[in-house]
Amino acid sequence: MGTYDVHVTIENKPGISDPEGDTILNDLILKGTHSTITKIKAAKMLKFTIKEKDKKTAQKKIQEICDELRIYNPMVSKITIDVFDA
Amino acid sequence: MSLEPQELEDLTSKIGRKPTSTELQIVAAEWSEHCSYKSSKKHLKMLPMTGPLVISEKGYDSGVLDVGGGYVVTAHIESHNHPSAVEPYGGAATGVGGVIRDILSAGTRPIAILDGLRFGDIEKDQQARWLFKNAVTGIADYGNCLGIPTVGGEVEFDKCYTNYALVDVASVGFGKKENLIKNHAKKGDLVVLLGGSTGRDGIGGSQFASDSLESEDRSAVQIPDPFIEKLIIEAVLEARNHNLINAMKDLGGGGLSCAVSETADALSIGIEMDVDKVHTREPGMHPDEIMVSESQERMLIVTDNAKLKKLQEICKKFRITCSVIGHVTSDNMMHVKKGKKTFARLPTDVVANATLLDRPSKKPAYLATIEREKKLKPISDYSKMMMKFLASPNIASKIWVYGQYDHEVGIRTVIKPGRDAAVLRLDNGKFLSVKIDGNPKHCYINPREGAIGCFEEACRNVVCTGAKPIGMLDHLQFGNPENPEIFWTFLESLKGLTDFAKYFKIPCVGGKVSLYNETPSGPIKPTPLIGVLGLAEKKHQTNTKINTDDVLIVVGNTKNEMGGSEYFEYIHKFIGGRCPVVDFAESKKNMDTVLDVIKKGILKNVHDCSKGGLAVAISEICMVEQIGCTVSLDKVPGEKLDTDRVLFSESHSRYLLVLEKTNLKKLEDILKKNKIAFGVIGKFGGEQIRFDSGSKKIMDLRVDKARKTWINSLRELVVHG
Repeated sequence: MGTYDVHVTIENKPGISDPEGDTILNDLILKGTHSTITKIKAAKMLKFTIKEKDKKTAQKKIQEICDELRIYNPMVSKITIDVFDA
Repeated sequence: MSLEPQELEDLTSKIGRKPTSTELQIVAAEWSEHCSYKSSKKHLKMLPMTGPLVISEKGYDSGVLDVGGGYVVTAHIESHNHPSAVEPYGGAATGVGGVIRDILSAGTRPIAILDGLRFGDIEKDQQARWLFKNAVTGIADYGNCLGIPTVGGEVEFDKCYTNYALVDVASVGFGKKENLIKNHAKKGDLVVLLGGSTGRDGIGGSQFASDSLESEDRSAVQIPDPFIEKLIIEAVLEARNHNLINAMKDLGGGGLSCAVSETADALSIGIEMDVDKVHTREPGMHPDEIMVSESQERMLIVTDNAKLKKLQEICKKFRITCSVIGHVTSDNMMHVKKGKKTFARLPTDVVANATLLDRPSKKPAYLATIEREKKLKPISDYSKMMMKFLASPNIASKIWVYGQYDHEVGIRTVIKPGRDAAVLRLDNGKFLSVKIDGNPKHCYINPREGAIGCFEEACRNVVCTGAKPIGMLDHLQFGNPENPEIFWTFLESLKGLTDFAKYFKIPCVGGKVSLYNETPSGPIKPTPLIGVLGLAEKKHQTNTKINTDDVLIVVGNTKNEMGGSEYFEYIHKFIGGRCPVVDFAESKKNMDTVLDVIKKGILKNVHDCSKGGLAVAISEICMVEQIGCTVSLDKVPGEKLDTDRVLFSESHSRYLLVLEKTNLKKLEDILKKNKIAFGVIGKFGGEQIRFDSGSKKIMDLRVDKARKTWINSLRELVVHG
């Protein structure tokens, strides 16, 4: 058994608009001189700490939890799961 | 998602050649049930749509009523059922956005939102709770960000909406008559697309809304952006003030396809447009996608060369994008190009007018036996039963819902949610009262009488605030119209509404038909939703504190009409019986008399009697005003009925009036003179809500306990399951 930190990033699917990211880009970043920035996407991250036998199981378990508990709506959002050793 | 073979044949013969793929997409969007009303349009004509106050103009998306002093009120109702069923937050929020733009497109400022929400059984069904919670948050977030108050609405739960949601939004606008947009266009005028960028979201939404929700093909999700909507509102109103808008239309279902073809058809012009000029969210979008995208927060404006510069300045000031996408022609053609290449060239009247259908109808088989009642278990303890009833989702206070809405922003809301109808102060010194009502339980048992009942209930609510009904909005929601039994229920409801509207001379100023509302387990119950607008010329009814010894009067007869009642369905789990029927003459008499009495200024409280019957209506007054009341059921007018029927019958045309004892004689004289059925049934005071029959005590509740249960139970249910 190991302890893992699992980061779940929830963001709108590609092609679906992201008003929050667009606003930060247009009204904050581009108003300065940071013209090299071309895109910002807003996302929400949940950090789980989980005890599991290996990284793969940890990832699978978290994916199941997110699906089952409607942590995100698969119609609108996609999630990315990253696992790190705690 | 495409045309039926018959429709394709029809299109081919009308244009005399094979349509291109872009043409097919455009026509499929516009000929969908959602945009074309092909099943319902023939029949909707029966509704009376004119009246002394109604202003009609070609191409209006909302109804316009002249309220005097140079001012108008606009109103519209829409639903966003399919999108809300898969993404309740965004679906409900964008539903609000859509109806607001309809108000805006007449050139009036939106001043209020009302919403009617329906979900499955939230006591047992977690999915229904998830939908409910998120739809409410979506409406609250969107409306609150825009600074438009959500002033009222209704919420109902019924098993027939399992895995589904009905999210209906009505909006009211207000403005000067001289500022109304007089939709017109001439050759050479410019067509401008203003607002959010066009993306791949919501592609095929209107066809999606016209299919039953069964498959996982649920791509039509739109993301709300209330801040852009707010900027659009301000930019459009400023452009209106500078007289820069010749014609305007909001982009809703069917996107550019519908907006362009309908504008051109309504104004008898042609429009030539270039998809390369449309500002898109991502590169490489195909013309087909651009034409049918349902990206939110966009408006189509027709202006001319001389006005364009000023319009662009205003857009720049509000930091919203506007693109000149085309110009007006005189050939009555909708011409879609990409650069120099033509992708679609169709006569606008062909696109905008789908072949209307004559769908067969047949009386549903279930109606033959539905009025039969079964023997019900007698209630042994009414007090206990009543506490359970007050906590039930349909009866419980909806404060958890409207408490999340900003209902005061704009400082017009003089009667706030939680009362019969909301009342808004207008700039001409008058008061506008608004309410929406539906009752699928009654409509299932009798589609005609149920629909009339919804109409009368909305009128009653408006009358309770001292306002006279001046206009009606109808939103007709049914299952799949290809099923003759469902189509029959649609027709029956529509005929009922028409009869009532004609009798009371209340014109229908706007409406919507939403069909194909099917859940995995079958069609929804017929759910017509009726909005009524009322006007109080000088004063509205303000409820004041009720004191000990004040008296309670009921106006109107209580009848043996238990079918579809909350009591039958929630307490006895029984669907059946005779549903309440409105007697037009009695209804009119009661309505006029109550309005007349309100004008005298002697009433401390006026409340309508509807869901849950007399027992619930009286308890509501007690719980809101925090005072007890002793009621004699023997004094309730109407035929002699069993105790539970007197308590819980949902007969229409009934009003509860509260006044000081000293004014009683005055009231009785008026009621007697007008030959109104009424009874002096109760006396306020103490801390108990008590119902007696003769010398027998039937029910006895402590006001504070009942109030606590009634106010908190919905929140408890949502938060803790």
